[in-house]
Amino acid sequence: MEGLVRKMQDTENGGIMVRSQKIFLSSIPAAFMGYDIIEWLTYTFRTFDNDFPPAEAVHLANMICSYGYFFPVDSKNLTVKDDGTFFRFQSPYYWPWQKRPPDNVEYAIYLAKRTLRNKQRHQLEDYELEAYNNLKKNLANKWEFITMQAEEQVKLLKTEKKVDKIIADSQERAYWRVHRPPPGMVTSLEHCPVPSRSWNGQRMRKKTVEDCRREVDLLRRSLTRTRIKTSQAIESLIQYYDTYVEYDVLMSQTSQTSQSTHPTNPWVTDDVSFWLLNAPLVEVTTEKRIRKWALSMEDLVSDPTGLQEFTTYLRKEYSHENIRFWSAVNELRRSAQSQISIRVQLIFEEFLAPGAPCEINIDGKTMEKVHQEMRNPSRFTFDAAQEHVYTLLLKKDCYPRFIRSDHYKSLLANAIQQQISQKKRFFGFGQMKKKTSTSNAPSQNLLQQQASQGGCVAAVSAIAKRRGSDRSLSGSAHELAVSGVKDPKVPHSHSQSNLSDIPYRGDLANLPKGVPVAAVAPSPVKKPNMAVVAGASTSEDVCPWEAVPEPRSRRNSGQSESSSSDVSVAVAEITERLQRTNILTQQHTVDGSHQLVVHAAEMPRRASVSVPIAHGVDQVARRKVSSFEDNRSSARSTPPSVFIIPGDLDNKTQENICKTLRKSHSIAKTCSVTGTNAPIISVSSVADESTDDDARSTQERIDEIEDEPGARRVSSP
Amino acid sequence: MCEVETKPLVDSVESLTKEAEILKKKLDAERVKLNDVTLFDSTERAETMAYMSIKPRRTLKGHQAKVLCSDWSPDKRHIVSSSQDGKMIIWDAFTTNKEHAVTMPTTWVMACAYAPSGNLVACGGLDNKVTVYPLTMEEDVTVKKKTVGTHASYMSCCLFPNSDQQILTGSGDSTCALWDVESGQLLQSFHGHSADVMSIDLAPSETGNTFVSGSCDKMVLIWDMRSGQCVQSFEGHDSDVNAVKFHPSGDAVGTGSDDATCRLFDLRADREIGMYGRGNLIFGINSVDFSVSGRLLFAGYNDYTVNTWDILKNNRVSLLYGHENRVSCVQVSPDGTALSTGSWDCTIRVWA
Repeated sequence: MEGLVRKMQDTENGGIMVRSQKIFLSSIPAAFMGYDIIEWLTYTFRTFDNDFPPAEAVHLANMICSYGYFFPVDSKNLTVKDDGTFFRFQSPYYWPWQKRPPDNVEYAIYLAKRTLRNKQRHQLEDYELEAYNNLKKNLANKWEFITMQAEEQVKLLKTEKKVDKIIADSQERAYWRVHRPPPGMVTSLEHCPVPSRSWNGQRMRKKTVEDCRREVDLLRRSLTRTRIKTSQAIESLIQYYDTYVEYDVLMSQTSQTSQSTHPTNPWVTDDVSFWLLNAPLVEVTTEKRIRKWALSMEDLVSDPTGLQEFTTYLRKEYSHENIRFWSAVNELRRSAQSQISIRVQLIFEEFLAPGAPCEINIDGKTMEKVHQEMRNPSRFTFDAAQEHVYTLLLKKDCYPRFIRSDHYKSLLANAIQQQISQKKRFFGFGQMKKKTSTSNAPSQNLLQQQASQGGCVAAVSAIAKRRGSDRSLSGSAHELAVSGVKDPKVPHSHSQSNLSDIPYRGDLANLPKGVPVAAVAPSPVKKPNMAVVAGASTSEDVCPWEAVPEPRSRRNSGQSESSSSDVSVAVAEITERLQRTNILTQQHTVDGSHQLVVHAAEMPRRASVSVPIAHGVDQVARRKVSSFEDNRSSARSTPPSVFIIPGDLDNKTQENICKTLRKSHSIAKTCSVTGTNAPIISVSSVADESTDDDARSTQERIDEIEDEPGARRVSSP
Repeated sequence: MCEVETKPLVDSVESLTKEAEILKKKLDAERVKLNDVTLFDSTERAETMAYMSIKPRRTLKGHQAKVLCSDWSPDKRHIVSSSQDGKMIIWDAFTTNKEHAVTMPTTWVMACAYAPSGNLVACGGLDNKVTVYPLTMEEDVTVKKKTVGTHASYMSCCLFPNSDQQILTGSGDSTCALWDVESGQLLQSFHGHSADVMSIDLAPSETGNTFVSGSCDKMVLIWDMRSGQCVQSFEGHDSDVNAVKFHPSGDAVGTGSDDATCRLFDLRADREIGMYGRGNLIFGINSVDFSVSGRLLFAGYNDYTVNTWDILKNNRVSLLYGHENRVSCVQVSPDGTALSTGSWDCTIRVWA
């Protein structure tokens, strides 16, 4: 309030008062007109703000008036209009905040004074009369003093000049109108009953020695703080804005270029699909949301669906102990005090103890720290280890890998397109990206540049920028290099070089083999259709990318088969429908039998396909198993249905086919378990009896035997 | 420098105050060194924004007295609000229906907050207490209410720091405190302000251990929740700091004050990098919030309006009229689709 008072008084002293007081009207002394105020305000503030609309001036004038700095001469309402109504300034004696809020005695004196004077001009209004009577009752012991005071003041008044009398009268009356308003009127002078706020000035608590010492400590510490240049700080704010502006609904509404996005802002259109699509845990994610995961690690893990996908991906790579540890420590930090010690122990046993089932890989120094902290368990016991895991393992290693992985790309490809107008282009983009991952790098570059215009470029460059800023926390040249370039194409290619420079390329090449192979896998049910897709993708690999100018039309015209993309669209639709029913059935089955069911369902298919495709089937099998583990391990907190991952398109169709087969083969399944393939059966039987982790590790071992051993084992360094 | 450090810590207010003065001067000198550009020189290349078109979409009527605080639910459509007469109402802001109404045994409920799960709300005010109400549909929510913590003075603000199990509060006794919900235990208290704490906000990070507080001593302090220590301080406002809010990047803090300005303090540059005010805005600010991209700063003023600042350009991009009394709270919904404003005119409005 203090500063406000000062400001108000500044305005009064420096401005309106001086100028406006020149205006005197002969008939009504010391007055000015409404439009004078408005004009003055507009004139004064035009220099500050080019767009100072008259409406704002009126508003401001009204505000000042309602505080009682000036008041209308005739009317009883404290409002200002841009017209010729007369106003008069309040005498500084009566300004609010000049003194404490008036007490009832003063009010009583004022009212008594009015009763003593000319009945016609000074008659009390109803509410005042009521207040007067009340006060008379309440202040009975002081009443004599009050009437004496009032008489005194009336006597004094009589000695004054008439003009002064009129002015003083009106000022006093206006003062009380502000401070004791008629019932039902809003007053601006209401105070918070908050102790310190109601009295201005010296309300600072007296400083104690301890306070001072604390302040000195803080100052001394902050003297050694490392700072960045202001320009850098501002640069990072601008970058942040550039990166996230497309997720700022309020901003995109403003910009003229905003396309008709779908789904729309629910507050504007009453269409809640926006919220449904952006719910914390969803089966099918929007493309925009998935792209956000690529912006930064924080964006990924703060989105429950993102965290879940990330975990699934790492689980497939057998390096999910890090993310699980990270989540567990987060949970610990947020748990109730009573559970801290138990949780600390549990986490230690699971992740850190020698020979723990899910041991994480941290250096000796951090381990030592943890052991020290363990003596006195608190919610921050594992902070050092968590930090280590987060920055070194997850952020620098797993996260970039995830973003470049086929898992992420397939998520992107399967995502719901938010912008209808761009639907086809994005679809084609995703498809191609997936396929090109096996082809050579230069062609990929070219293709992406062709296919991705607008949003894609923005996204990619945004990724590049964000990554840049992540890496250069110490303010390196990298960040500046990226952000300094304005041409949208250049940062794009920059990010591309980024991608191809990565040290994990070897891993990448090995890892995702399963996906493309899976794409070729034919199935007994849909054999003819799938064959088209398979043929398309294989022959496309042979076809030189560079020779074809338009990526989308090439797809259709280049192949002899009529429309492979149409087929895949249809497949996607079926997939979605089927998936929904799948989830329903899955919810009703028990875990143990589940795994049996899946493998059983695979049997007939395996029999029908030739040898190389076994790889693809394995992929599906493993995916299934892992998702069920998910189900079990976190069934406590989340509904199971959400763990069905909308994976790669072709994988999904296979899953679905599995399901349909399962239904038809439900009788035959038990016998088919004892069928051909030994390793897989052993997995399912083990999984039935043992714990999740055991099952996983068994599976892991088998996989190593079956596929290229070692190549898949991408655990943390 | 040497002289300062070798001096033994005499337990007298005077010597320490003197020392603080010296250190402050040095600190200012340090800060100036790296102040190479002003905000508005370096943001020239950012494109200018058009005047924003943001309209009132919903009006929530039902409070009988001034609305003092409101908070969005994590489900993005519910709002909890508290008012002067001790009522706390849970709204479905989308349909404008009231889902719960709780009468508190106190007036001036100055703070209320939704828990991250959406199943709990906390509130408090002149009763100096923070009380938690679990939201259930079956029974009266007051049955299961639970008093978690008590301050020595009124409670001005509260929030759940990413967890249903803890509450962080700011109080008129010039401290902040972290409470364990289950046991009501005081986990950590934060001393350092010399006047009433008016507002707190949590750093927007998953593992965030820092929060910011603004106080009537005109200071903005950054705290470490683990150690209970103040790690950074910002001065600059000429009057009470009524509102603080982290920029969504976590690198800066936006503030609103009774001196009628909003300011932007950068944590890494360790200084004020922006000030947003006009000569014609002479009324105090009660509440501020950022849009998702961090470019827009919404501020609720005592002159019944909400001004929107483009923090990069220092332009005012919109002015929201509508309320008929002071705007006491503004908050952008968690997904950034809407802005809620609560006012002393007893209504809450949702703008989009």
